Amino acid sequence: MASDKELSDFLQSVERRAFKQAAFAVRRDESALDIVQDAMIKLAEKYGDKPAAELPLLFQRILQNTIHDYFRREKVRNTWVTLFSGLRGNADDSDQYDVLETFEAEEGSMAAESSEDKVSRDQVLNAIDDEVQKLPGRQREAFLLRYWQDMDVAETAAIMGCSEGSVKTHCSRATHTLAHALKSRGIRL
Amino acid sequence: MNAKEINFAYRVRHALNENLDQLPAATGSRLAAARQLALSRKKPDTGRRVLLPRLAAAHGSDGAGFFSRPVSWLGRMSVALPVVIVFASLVGMYQAEKRQHIVDLAEIDAMVLTDELPLNAYLDHGFNAYLAQQGE
Repeated sequence: MASDKELSDFLQSVERRAFKQAAFAVRRDESALDIVQDAMIKLAEKYGDKPAAELPLLFQRILQNTIHDYFRREKVRNTWVTLFSGLRGNADDSDQYDVLETFEAEEGSMAAESSEDKVSRDQVLNAIDDEVQKLPGRQREAFLLRYWQDMDVAETAAIMGCSEGSVKTHCSRATHTLAHALKSRGIRL
Repeated sequence: MNAKEINFAYRVRHALNENLDQLPAATGSRLAAARQLALSRKKPDTGRRVLLPRLAAAHGSDGAGFFSRPVSWLGRMSVALPVVIVFASLVGMYQAEKRQHIVDLAEIDAMVLTDELPLNAYLDHGFNAYLAQQGE
């Protein structure tokens, strides 16, 4: 069983990466923080008595499920918003829902970073962040689990609920897409 | 994936790790608060913590376990012996019932063969109908 200190050290070692992982997926820092907090609490409440070696895989599963739950809730909420906006009629055209209009980059988030200074190291890092964020969801999930969270192919497949072959395909495509995107922005790693 | 792709992937990983250090301080403190909240709700390990002191108290403080003592064989036998006796009794009852059933069937067969049927058999309407049908 993981002691309090082991659990604390584990959470501390993964919390920042988990936050970025969630932020890549949901694109809102505040929501990403909520997701990470939920995942941490679920891990501690339900699996706090598990051995420390099992925590990384359990936490990743919980984190991915919490991200998926977030999208489900958003879908339901958007359905109701669309329904009620339809009931109000077309009295005011400016009320029509537009994702691009409602999406605002939060101050301090990755999307709000400017790309004025192309030569600075920070901008290169932010550009890489942006391109990772732009990857298709499944590709990004596989790529981050495999190469950022150090999961092997079998563990990644178990977390994603797909075959090991699919994981390899997603990872390969993600790498090619990233390489192509970074090259087109003049970034060489 | 070939080595070139893997190298590229690990360079991206390095860049992502470097970017983690640039997270706003507010985000870091919020994550720390979330961690503390999670730790305060940690599932307690009820099974082991409760059981071990009880066993230790029952057998003194020399650290010897319950099953490592000679007396534990008596304890085990006190559980196993009644189970064996009950099982043997059930098997014996089943065998006795089976034997009695075979004996009863044999007696009926013998009575039919020696034509020693009881009178009640001839009072039965079904049996009379059977005899009439056989006579025709």
